[in-house]
Amino acid sequence: MARERTPSRGPRRRGMGRRKVCRFCADKALLIDYKDARTLGNFLSERGKVIPARITGNCARHQRRLTTAVKQARTVALLPYTAVYP
Amino acid sequence: MADRRYESLVLIHPDQGEAGAKELTARMRTLLEEQGATISQVQEWGLRELAYPIAKQRRAAYVLFEYRAEPRALVEFERNLKLMDPIVRFVSVRQAENAPPAQMRFAGRPEREEGESEGEEVGGGEPEDEAMSEGEA
Repeated sequence: MARERTPSRGPRRRGMGRRKVCRFCADKALLIDYKDARTLGNFLSERGKVIPARITGNCARHQRRLTTAVKQARTVALLPYTAVYP
Repeated sequence: MADRRYESLVLIHPDQGEAGAKELTARMRTLLEEQGATISQVQEWGLRELAYPIAKQRRAAYVLFEYRAEPRALVEFERNLKLMDPIVRFVSVRQAENAPPAQMRFAGRPEREEGESEGEEVGGGEPEDEAMSEGEA
């Protein structure tokens, strides 16, 4: 699992966590759709912000599509812009 | 050949009621057809809770149109939507040619109906968000 080859640069992955895989790559049936507020909601923080790919493990391509979808969903009030609205 | 696959999700003001929404839906349908669009699907989601208030309303009637049309037709359709006062919001998206047709399941919880069944989905902030908006409603 861990790479032993470059001790000089320190451990590549600190901590215990396993490498996260992009959920959309892992599950081809799972499509990114702005209408699917439930799935998109999994990638929002409690405040309604998009969770960075760094945390969720999404690949760049899917993170891009995800953020677009979230923004489209927000336009039609399927998702909140913020948890506590003004 | 130059036509593309689009879908538009339109939000109708709740004061229109069910009959008014039906009528508007029919009007939008003819509007699209006049523009030479071929409609493949129209989904009426009914009144839904909004994630945030629009036009001082907490809910709105959602209607989804799936169709093929030329870009010019879309522009004209959107221009007309903007002129219709009971339409509070809409979004149009170009769909990939190979994308599956929209499922009705996205219509989701239709307004306070076993609203708490969200619990099965684990992880992410969604359940909390739900709880919050529910509490304020």
